[in-house]
Order: sequence, then structure tokens, then C-alpha cells
Amino acid sequence: MENELRNAIRELFANQGVGVAIGYGRVGVDGAVGAVFVTSPDDVDQLVWNNECRQNLAVHLTRPEVKALGKIAIVCKPCDARAVVVLANEAQIKREDLVVVGVVCEGIRNVKPDGSTSDKDYPKCETCVQHVPANVDVVIGETSKGEALDAKNAEVATTAGHQAKLAKLRAMSAEERFQYWRDEFSRCVRCYACRQSCPLCYCNRCVADKNRPARIDTSASLKGNFAWNILRAFHLAGRCVGCGACASACPAGIELDLLNLTLANAAKEHFGFVAGTEVGAAPLIGTYDRDDKEEFIR
Amino acid sequence: MSQIITLEQLKSALDEKLSQGCRVAAPVLDGEFASFKEITKADQGSYEPRVAMQNSIKEFFFPKHETLFTFVRQGQDVVLTDAPDFEVDQIVVGARPCDAAALPVLDPLFGWDYQDRFFQQRRAKTTVVSFACVKSDAHCFCTAVGGSPENTSGSDALLFDLGDGSFEVRVLTDKGKALFEGKTTDSDKTGQSCDAPTVDFEVDKIADWIRANFASPLWEKISLRCVGCGACAFVCPTCHCFDMVDEGSYNKGKKVKNWDSCQEAMFTLHASGHNPRGTQGKRQRQRLSHKFVTYPDKFKFYLCTGCGSCSRSCGQMFGVRPTLEALDKEGVKAGQ
Repeated sequence: MENELRNAIRELFANQGVGVAIGYGRVGVDGAVGAVFVTSPDDVDQLVWNNECRQNLAVHLTRPEVKALGKIAIVCKPCDARAVVVLANEAQIKREDLVVVGVVCEGIRNVKPDGSTSDKDYPKCETCVQHVPANVDVVIGETSKGEALDAKNAEVATTAGHQAKLAKLRAMSAEERFQYWRDEFSRCVRCYACRQSCPLCYCNRCVADKNRPARIDTSASLKGNFAWNILRAFHLAGRCVGCGACASACPAGIELDLLNLTLANAAKEHFGFVAGTEVGAAPLIGTYDRDDKEEFIR
Repeated sequence: MSQIITLEQLKSALDEKLSQGCRVAAPVLDGEFASFKEITKADQGSYEPRVAMQNSIKEFFFPKHETLFTFVRQGQDVVLTDAPDFEVDQIVVGARPCDAAALPVLDPLFGWDYQDRFFQQRRAKTTVVSFACVKSDAHCFCTAVGGSPENTSGSDALLFDLGDGSFEVRVLTDKGKALFEGKTTDSDKTGQSCDAPTVDFEVDKIADWIRANFASPLWEKISLRCVGCGACAFVCPTCHCFDMVDEGSYNKGKKVKNWDSCQEAMFTLHASGHNPRGTQGKRQRQRLSHKFVTYPDKFKFYLCTGCGSCSRSCGQMFGVRPTLEALDKEGVKAGQ
């Protein structure tokens, strides 16, 4: 599959005028897998594909340093490809200027506290059901685990995954849930790794960085940490594609994706909306429909 | 002749200090993650030498969030009240030698022109008990910056895990002596640390390359995968940048000091909109220059103890060691 991927990228350099291919390579300590930016067909052999390809590379699509390298080809897992759909739907990228190379994914391994690879799947992958990427230009690899999802199936399937993941939170009482988040957020250091590794946190000036006046406390106090993490989750409501990049990047090991999935689940339950599954879908929070529920108005 | 203490004796010594009103911080396990946390009973801690920690002991000297003073508006006046002095004794137990070594590195910074009472009071009141390393991993590079698995710098006592539920205690300072005096027993057992981690780069040569290559395109090239979060700085035992902000309302509030990181674009964003470090390459250049050129030029210490926490916690598999290795390979050894 790795060779298939490399050949496909070589072909893109030759025939589609690609300036940079964003993929995975063994770039970290002890060969840990991270993003590589291939700018010449001669370097394509740096690219790897395996179950350690953790990051969502779509985060790089909106960065000026990367855009300066020319037309982009990007390697996307099925979840990452959903983020590309949202970026295009929200007019942050021109989809036609981009080549998305989708890779079939059967799950990514978790990372241990020492930075090495665990023998367990990453938690979000345990409940994932989309193994074949949709809305991509090329699909690399095959799987017996599941077909590519069209918009309708993706809605059903990703929601099923969310339900399984959220069972842990649902089993708690409101007090227990509050205590759970208190404990989790007490470790937050406000490094903003969650925001920086999220493809959909693309604001030039994040609300957390607004200081004239300050919108929320920048302090890593419990109040500031609740404000930040809840606010970020709200900004991703109806947008989060559940890639788990935030939770994976968090140096404090906070399961941030649970927050986002709660809201993704609400978007599905109340509005029948699943982010990143439909090309051209109007943003959920940016649209009004006569059939939207109104029972919250009292 | 060596001095040894059993794990139970160590815990009861800590419980005794806790009962006297002393603050104690120790490694606490949460699933497979271990982080330094304040404890209220010695049993809450996990006392074994560890390579990977979720945080450093820095926050017990330089908290992630600290109040400097409070303000209250009273009629036409504003009343300012300084934050209280740090007056309680504190023990940090279970530090890695590379955590403790950061303290003497930070002393000159916080006591240079401005005497930072917040750091200095905590430093004076705190006893640091470190564990000599029994293993290293691929992220460790203390040897490259003058450290070792049994580095004593910054520690008041260094404990060697004897593997039989006891530790050899090597007391290093009066504070260490005060904590362990009368608690240890004579023995002929001595502890041993692991072998020093190996590195195949020389930090001095890389520092020279950094001095000569401010405008090298290599900075942008090697920094492309960095997404500009502050995780590396916040887990780093030596990174010390902070931001000061007001919190509260017009009538009542406080000035607080919060950790900050040079890897975030906001760090150097001017009010005009101009950003002198507008790309991640420039921000990484700043980070490496500060650690290996600017800081040692001024304070004689590298601003890095080689602990490897940055690369262990980086979601993009970056950090100081991979950056040094890239600069060594593509800069120093390539003769560019």
C-alpha cells in the first residue's frame, strides 16, 4: 500500500503540477511518524503509511508557510477527509486547487505517555466505522472492514461510533460528570495544542487571544480552563468531524474529543446533521430552517 | 558506608512533614500517566524513578497561573494589595535529575535585575528530593547538555532505587540533611543509575551554526510540521516565559501571571498587526537560539536539561532533540 501511495504521489507531481505533497514520514525520535512535506518527486520515498499515522494533516492546509509551497496534495484518512470537506464548505480552501489522496484506514494505534506506540488502538478508532475515505480524488488501499460511505451511510455510521464512545459519559450522573471534567480540566495548561492541531480551528485571531478586552480568562485556573474548553467545544458544534487530533495532541492527556462528540451527537439528534459528510452542505450553525426545532424557546 | 531508607520510612517521613503543615508534591499515577501533583497523604504518591512525566516540577516554583496583586476601586481611589509571601515549607519528591537541574538554570534569570520574590521565596522554602534514573529512552539527551542520570545539580538529596523496596540516600545540602537526618540507617548497599543516554551531536557546534545562520532557509524547512502550540514550552522544566494580564471587572480584579510560549503566533504580534516572528520557522529559531545561544551567553547555562519532555509530548513528533538532530545533520555536518 505504501508503494501504491508513493506511486500515486509521483504521478501527481508529474501530471498535476503539485508543489508539495503533505504526507506521513518517520520524522520524530526513534522513527516516530509525523507530517512530511515532500516538495520534489525525488523525495517521495520518505512517505509512509501505517497504523502510526496519527495526525490530521488537514491542519496544514490553511497555514501560510505551507500554502507558499505551491499546489497541495494531501494524504487523508477517512476522518481527515471529512475535515477537508468542512474546510471547503466553509470557504477556507478551494477544493479544486487541492488533490486529496485518501488512504484506507483500519485504525490508528494509541501513543503511550513516553511518546512510543501502544499496542492498543487510539480510543476514537475503536468506535470508528468509516475505513474507506469519501469525497477524495484517489483512494489508496482496500479493506474488508467496510465500504466507502456516501453521505447518508456516513451519517448513520459516524453517529453509531459517537454513541459507543459517549456511553462512558452517559453512565455518569450530572454531578459525576461535572467532577469528571473538573479533574480533567485541572490538568489543562492552556498550551492550546488542541486548537493548533485542529484543522477546523483556523481563526486568525482566536477568541482566547482577544485581549482588548479579554473575552475569557487566559489563566489556567479552573474557571479559565472551563471557559476555554467549553467555548472551544461550542465553536466546533456542527463542525467537528471527530478526528481526535485535539485529544491526541493534548500534553495533559485530556479526552477533549468527548466534549466535541457530545455536541456532534446533538447536531445529529436535533438537526440530522453530520459534519464533513456532504460536499456543499451549508454550515449548521450558520443556517436557519423553518423546520428547526423551537421547543427550547419558552 | 551508605545511608538507606525504606519506602515505608520515606512515606512516613513525608506524612510527618504533611502533618506539620508542609506542602508535598510527588509523582501521582492516573492510569498510565504520571504527573507531579500536590498530595495530602504520602500514599497518594508513586515513588519510583520514571523517564516520562506529564509535567515538570517547574510549576511548584513558577506556577502556571499566579496572582501578583489584587485591585479594588474605592470612590476615586484604587487600592492595590500585593499577593502574600510564600511562607510554607514545601517538599518536591521524585524529581528526575533533569527536572531538578533546571532550578539552578532558572535562578539567575529570576534574580538578575529584577528580584522575583515569587520564584525566590518558593525556591528558598523548597526541598527537592530526586531519584537517580534507572532507565533512559530515545528522547533523553541530558549528556549533551552536561547532565547525567545521577546529576546532583538542583537536588537537596538524591535517592537511588535499590530495587528491594528501599533507597540509598545521598544527602547533598543542609535542606536535604534536615529532611533525612535520623530517618536513614547505615548500610553497605549502594545504588547505581542507568548508563548515560547516547547522542551523536555536539550542542556547542550546533550553537555555533545557529550563531552563523540566522537567515538560513533550513529553519523554515525543518519547522514545517510544527503547528505552533505551547505544549513543548509548558512541559519544559526550563521554559519560563509568561504573560501578565488583568482579570476581573472594572471595579475589582487582579493582575495575574500566566505561562506563555514563543511558539504561539500571538507571542510577538505587535499592536500594529506586524509580527516579527510571523512564521513557524522564525519561532523555532527563537526557541533554539534562546536555549543554546542567548541564554548561555548571558547566564552560562544552556536553557535545556535534555529531559526530552518536549518531544515526548509533542503531537507532531517534534521537540528539541529532533530539531537539534536536524540542524546537526542538515546544517553542521552538511557544512551549510
